[in-house]
Amino acid sequence: MNPLKISISGVRGIVGATFTPELVVNFAQAFGTYLDSGQILVCRDTRPSGSMVRSAVISGLISTGCKVIDLGICPTPSMQLLLTAMGASGGIAISGGHNPEGWNALKFVRDDGIYLNALQAGELLDVFHQSEFTKMPWNKLHKVQERNDAIDLHLARVKKSLQIEVIRQRRFVVAVDCCNGACSRMTPRFLEELDCKVVSINDSPSERFPHDPNPTPTNMQQLRAMVKASGADVGFAHDADGERLGIVTEQGVPLSEEYTLAVLTVIQLSQKPGVVVTNLSTTQAIDDLATRYGGSVIRTPIGQAYVAEAVKETRAVVGGEGSGGVILPDIQFSHDSLAAIGRVLEFLAVRQNTISDLAAAVPRFYMVKRNLGFSPSTIYAVIQDLRASIESEAQTATLDFSDGIKLSWPDGWVHVRDSNTESMIRIIAESKEPSRAESLADWAQTRVRIASVRMAER
Amino acid sequence: MKPIRTLKISISGIRGVIGDSLLPPLLTRFAESFGTYLNSGEIVIGRDTRTSGEMVKHAVFAGLMSSGCQVIDLDICPVPTVQHMVRELGARGGIAITASHNPVEWNALKLIRSDGCFLNSYQAEELLSVYHQGDYKKVRELEIREVRKNEQGIPSHLKRILESYGPVKWNGRNFKVAIDCCNGAGSLMTPRLLERLGCEVVAINTTPNGIFPHPPEPVPQNLTDLCRLVKESGADVGFAQDADADRLAIVSEEGMPAGEENTLALAVKFVLSQERGTVVTNLSTTQAIDDIAQAFGCRVIRTKIGEVNVTETMKKENALIGGEGNGGVIFPRINFARDSMVGIALVLHYMARCGVSISSLINELPKYYFVKQTVPYPSFRVRSLLKQLQETYSGERLDQTEGLKILRPDAWAHIRSSNTEPIVRIVVEARHEDLARAWAAEIVSRMEKL
Repeated sequence: MNPLKISISGVRGIVGATFTPELVVNFAQAFGTYLDSGQILVCRDTRPSGSMVRSAVISGLISTGCKVIDLGICPTPSMQLLLTAMGASGGIAISGGHNPEGWNALKFVRDDGIYLNALQAGELLDVFHQSEFTKMPWNKLHKVQERNDAIDLHLARVKKSLQIEVIRQRRFVVAVDCCNGACSRMTPRFLEELDCKVVSINDSPSERFPHDPNPTPTNMQQLRAMVKASGADVGFAHDADGERLGIVTEQGVPLSEEYTLAVLTVIQLSQKPGVVVTNLSTTQAIDDLATRYGGSVIRTPIGQAYVAEAVKETRAVVGGEGSGGVILPDIQFSHDSLAAIGRVLEFLAVRQNTISDLAAAVPRFYMVKRNLGFSPSTIYAVIQDLRASIESEAQTATLDFSDGIKLSWPDGWVHVRDSNTESMIRIIAESKEPSRAESLADWAQTRVRIASVRMAER
Repeated sequence: MKPIRTLKISISGIRGVIGDSLLPPLLTRFAESFGTYLNSGEIVIGRDTRTSGEMVKHAVFAGLMSSGCQVIDLDICPVPTVQHMVRELGARGGIAITASHNPVEWNALKLIRSDGCFLNSYQAEELLSVYHQGDYKKVRELEIREVRKNEQGIPSHLKRILESYGPVKWNGRNFKVAIDCCNGAGSLMTPRLLERLGCEVVAINTTPNGIFPHPPEPVPQNLTDLCRLVKESGADVGFAQDADADRLAIVSEEGMPAGEENTLALAVKFVLSQERGTVVTNLSTTQAIDDIAQAFGCRVIRTKIGEVNVTETMKKENALIGGEGNGGVIFPRINFARDSMVGIALVLHYMARCGVSISSLINELPKYYFVKQTVPYPSFRVRSLLKQLQETYSGERLDQTEGLKILRPDAWAHIRSSNTEPIVRIVVEARHEDLARAWAAEIVSRMEKL
């Protein structure tokens, strides 16, 4: 089974199998129809298929009367920032994000720079399924306009929010791994402008991904070696389009991706107590930090749009997801790894601190993440069956069904849900005790198996 | 729901109206089927100036890339430039995005094979089978090739022409040439060609924006602006091109259109006066070609209508020159394609060689009168129509290579169904205008009775 995933996180699939140019053209037409034409920004990450997908997107958008602004290879957050600055109608980011090589995706951005939410994604899907797209005649077609200043704008905007001189005085040594992705032409330049000594690896956009672009400890081994070898003060790892961020300490320890938001939560709350928004699957450490600094936490279903909308609505000081995506609302309501890097360096410079000290401020939890592959036709039924059986049982846990099934006990929690980006069920369990986390995950995995067997017998 | 009547997917490629029938998913699938048919490889893409060109181009790119092709993008350039570059680069094939002489709201794909010629009818049928089967080659991530831009198309094409036909003088001075490029693809090449030939250029409609100031077919009724320009500027000759610069029309220094049939006649006469060889043209082209060839002791071979039918026969027969009566000159030594720029170079060199005005060269051509008529006719009745006409004229000399051609000593008539529309085309040519008109009227009235 070659997966295709259409969800709140966009349209995702495997190039050469399910992610076909016809599908992309049709979605671009649907999006142009849905937005009633207007100015649409298009950017892509460095995947070779990006050029194919870009052409399909541009063609579909032009035919519906959109004025396409083509940013070429450019980080998604840079596009989102330019989009709001221009007052454009929407955007399409062509990027598989953290997905491995072979995947690509369309991510649909609305006029406030936030991705379509679940309701809007549903409306777009209705337009797509209906297949009655706007067809503009020859004299209502607009020329594509190419722009290459999105990164400039992004750098200027982030720098303006920082105490640049304080950072410059520290003369940080910073190691960075751009995974040969869209940040390759941005982050090393940013760091140089902050007078850092930059140890940059994998910053050739024309090369293949050297490793999976998801900035997890497993994928930060090369960065870790560079940090140690160069004696860097900190190491940063990007995904393919600049949304997710991974951090390596000056001692060469790759922090779990859950720590990225936690570290930024410490930074933001210690300066200004307020609301932190994150999703159901993100570490309990966020709640503990909020308690420590006198803030509060709002939990949303999984998906950047949910978090971003809640950040906007509640005027939160920070938001994000345990995947390494951080929203700093004074820059924009989107995951922005560049803004997060700037904020970390500023904090280290102002507080005369090290990144491992900062990480030490985050309460230690042990998290288990497991992915169980399922065919798309059974996932929903399995989760429903599991939910029904859990609801019918006497539970000591607090239940949350806002996205899949989350059971929380005082000493740990486990979350079972449908992935937005792949055809699988994700199990996430967390506790201060590793054995407890593992046993929660084991328990959930067994329950999922039982539910799936029951489904198969039906 | 109103049925769509503008889309035509046939052996001539795919053509339709923007905002109505020619939509991106269809174009993408068609490009995928072409990439599948050619089994990947380098594909050269060019387009005319139509406003829809960018949309069509990207849909085509996506389909070709998905099937593993290396796209070489020439962007806006004449169709003969695309054909030239396919051969020059040794590419696997090409696609020209142009609806040629069709009105501005149309666009189309013309499919080119590795020798620079268009697909013939068998190859087009094979491609259509792939298209309809719907199972296209799809390559994985790392086999997708980024589009390669190539800006050498027009310079390389110019160089090729100028190698054979360089700067010219006419009676010791430079030519003064008026041109009308119809804001089409010729806008980017024809002024440069004329300058390199040493001509003084007066130009109209050379803004390559795809907004056509008049219908792009270079027939006399569309040339009034150029005729006026020639007279007012005192130019020695005027040239008009269609949107993709494959067809050429000539206007005399007196401001009179020469008639598109005479473009080929002039080119053939010049080339045969230099050297002898076989001439190939289609069934509907003027008898003047035969008269000229006969005078030089050369052979004429007639083919079905369609550029590829002429070019394939030219290859087979190792012909010296050929073309079509609609203003399409094919001179294989320079390009295996209808090429208006080659036509311009040949006509100017002909004038220079003879040292006389273009109107006297036109006047020296055999005189024929041409009547072209189209009659709407349901496709399913065309065969029986042709059969009955064949019986009617059974006592005469007939050629049934395509449709029905009736040959008389002083006239001929050609009746055939269109490849692109549900119409029957009638072409009659005779020594005298009255005779041509009368015969055409006779055929039409017979059709109406049937």
